[in-house]
Amino acid sequence: MKIGIPRALLYYYYYPFFETFFKELGCEVVLSEETNAKIISDGCKVTVSELCVPIKIFNGHVVSLMNKNVDYIFVPRFISIGKEWYCPKFIGLGEIVKYSIDSMKDKMLIVELKNKTDIPDRIEDYMPLAEKLNVTKAQLKNALKKAKISFLKCRKLSLQGYTIPEAYSILKGKEVPPPMQKADLTIGLMGYVNNVYDDFVSMSAVKKLREMGVKVITFDMLDENIIKLDKSKGKQPFWTFARKVYNAANYLINNVEIDGIIHLTAFACGPDSVIGKMMELECGEKDIPFMTIRIDEHTGESHVQTRFEAFTDMLKMRKGAK
Amino acid sequence: MKVSFPYMGCVTGFKKLFELLGHEVIMPEKPTQRTIDLGVLNSPEFICYPFKIMMGTYIEACEKGAELIVSSGGSGPCRAGIYGDVHKKILHELGYDVEIVIFDSLFENFGAFMNQVFKIKNKTPTLKVMKYAYLVFKMINQMDGIEKELKHLRAYEVNKGDFDKCFDKIKELYDKTYTLKQMKKTYAKALEMLHAVPVNIPPENKRVRIGIVGEIYVIMESSTNMDIEKRLNALGVEVENIQYISDWVKHHIIPRRFSKEESWKMFDKGYQYKSCNCGGHDMENTGAIVHFSQKGYDGVVHLMPFGCLPELITRSIIPQITEDYGIPVLSMSMDEQQGEANIQTRLEAFIDLCKNRSNKQQISPAEAANSKELKKEFAGIM
Ligand code: SF4
Ligand code: SF4
Repeated sequence: MKIGIPRALLYYYYYPFFETFFKELGCEVVLSEETNAKIISDGCKVTVSELCVPIKIFNGHVVSLMNKNVDYIFVPRFISIGKEWYCPKFIGLGEIVKYSIDSMKDKMLIVELKNKTDIPDRIEDYMPLAEKLNVTKAQLKNALKKAKISFLKCRKLSLQGYTIPEAYSILKGKEVPPPMQKADLTIGLMGYVNNVYDDFVSMSAVKKLREMGVKVITFDMLDENIIKLDKSKGKQPFWTFARKVYNAANYLINNVEIDGIIHLTAFACGPDSVIGKMMELECGEKDIPFMTIRIDEHTGESHVQTRFEAFTDMLKMRKGAK
Repeated sequence: MKVSFPYMGCVTGFKKLFELLGHEVIMPEKPTQRTIDLGVLNSPEFICYPFKIMMGTYIEACEKGAELIVSSGGSGPCRAGIYGDVHKKILHELGYDVEIVIFDSLFENFGAFMNQVFKIKNKTPTLKVMKYAYLVFKMINQMDGIEKELKHLRAYEVNKGDFDKCFDKIKELYDKTYTLKQMKKTYAKALEMLHAVPVNIPPENKRVRIGIVGEIYVIMESSTNMDIEKRLNALGVEVENIQYISDWVKHHIIPRRFSKEESWKMFDKGYQYKSCNCGGHDMENTGAIVHFSQKGYDGVVHLMPFGCLPELITRSIIPQITEDYGIPVLSMSMDEQQGEANIQTRLEAFIDLCKNRSNKQQISPAEAANSKELKKEFAGIM
């Protein structure tokens, strides 16, 4: 059985998990190609225009997989972690895909995930797959166990300072230079994994910043325990990834020597409009420079480059003046 | 304390509650262009429209000296959840020293809800708080009932503006009502007034009925939806709005096992299209469209703030519902840039379409199957 996995959204967080999971069940995993102009334009074509870019991109990847002759396309529906919710668009992803792309109805392999922790390994959620994939509960259980191991391996690499694509390469046995230790500047690059690590979307933000001598810290490089939901700190964003990003920014501002925060956000992202403002206000209080980069279908590469340069130059001057 | 609250539909009920609790009420102004401008100026650019309007309303309330703003936080992944906090931060940044209390839904966190009520109860004895709450709840219910009927009748008013004047008077009556006993009289009087307005009702088969569904704030507050109900009434169609404050209060305050509320039934009807609720009221709205078509309505208008997450999901399902049930649906996004002329044209075109359809009387299954055509027809309008 061939299972297509769109290289979008939480691919950038959970791929090792699902890859191992399906392989353990004896399926072949087919990934869509890296995001490119065609994928984006296909995605825009089929999706309601008001939706955010990442969702359009997801649809674009689904379209591209449709042409790849797969049996099923995996569309996980992330609902909640404990009492916390994912972005409503993640929850509605199934519907969005189903009703935007004709002929998707029978191809879609949906699981509804209501995990207790960061690891989506609740066996109940996967039971509906048993029939479609013709596997037993015991097999599912076993596959989930293995999947969890892969995921944790990847998390460990992230905590060492590797970006997620780097971690994926290492897991595949490739050589990757070790993460930067010393640098002129340290910047918190705050944004969702699917924006930060999709090179077409972020215009290779991490690489660009590193070339300018910046050590980049993203939320996934922090331990989940540091950025976990903590109601004692007052109301927090209740969208999982928004909370992660926001708490990560908060942690960096208060506990780490950072020179600035960059918020990388997608056009028309609902949760970001809230946490972006909150981060900005908090950076203001602590006198830490803050910059927002908002990307849409038309953002140009040179624009991003210039803004990064201006921001890092400013930070360097500030540092020199101190 | 000087209390204010966001403007959301008819606010007489809220006002009463705070008055009874002994607060000085700063009546929120109906959002005007200034409110919107203020809100837009002081809100994050990409936040949804209701946030901006509430922002504007709050600022205006603060200008008038409000010390406490009471708002509804709501529950679920989307609703205005942390908005209150962001509003507060922005107000503080602007230099207003104001407290915001957000009412959470009762059944999710009973303790928190009661705490919030006690925060504003202002030394009123608990028993009295309960009594007042009941009174106000009943009042909102009655007024909603009256308004509902008004939106049917207004389509047929003989002298333009009669019903609006009548409703203003009814609101005044309720404003002066403080006990259950008085309320009984007020209600009778109100109904009498309503039915005294001259109307010219056509025969049953000529009546056109439109349902309104969508994000709660924009469907309840007429200034955010360009008075869509009035516009529709003026085009000679009856309007039924799916969400009233009273329904909403019931839905949120009374747990499902104890309540046989319509909105829960809607929820179930929505279930066939999606297996979970994505935030706001999208499940109810999906169900509501089905509900309207089963009740023989001629069309549905779906309203949402631009970029509203849960309602976008409703919107993506609409073509499928139209295909299955043959009901035309017009979906529109509201924001500060929406132009009046644009709305009017689209409404007129839509109503023409609905009228043409209803001339054909009930649609047959064969026709429903044909509604793919219809769907295409709508693609242009939507
Ligand atoms: S978090 Fe933002 S960008 Fe991501 S799916 Fe939700 S709205 Fe879109
Ligand atoms: S339901 Fe829509 S309008 Fe309301 S808070 Fe959510 S996104 Fe905003």
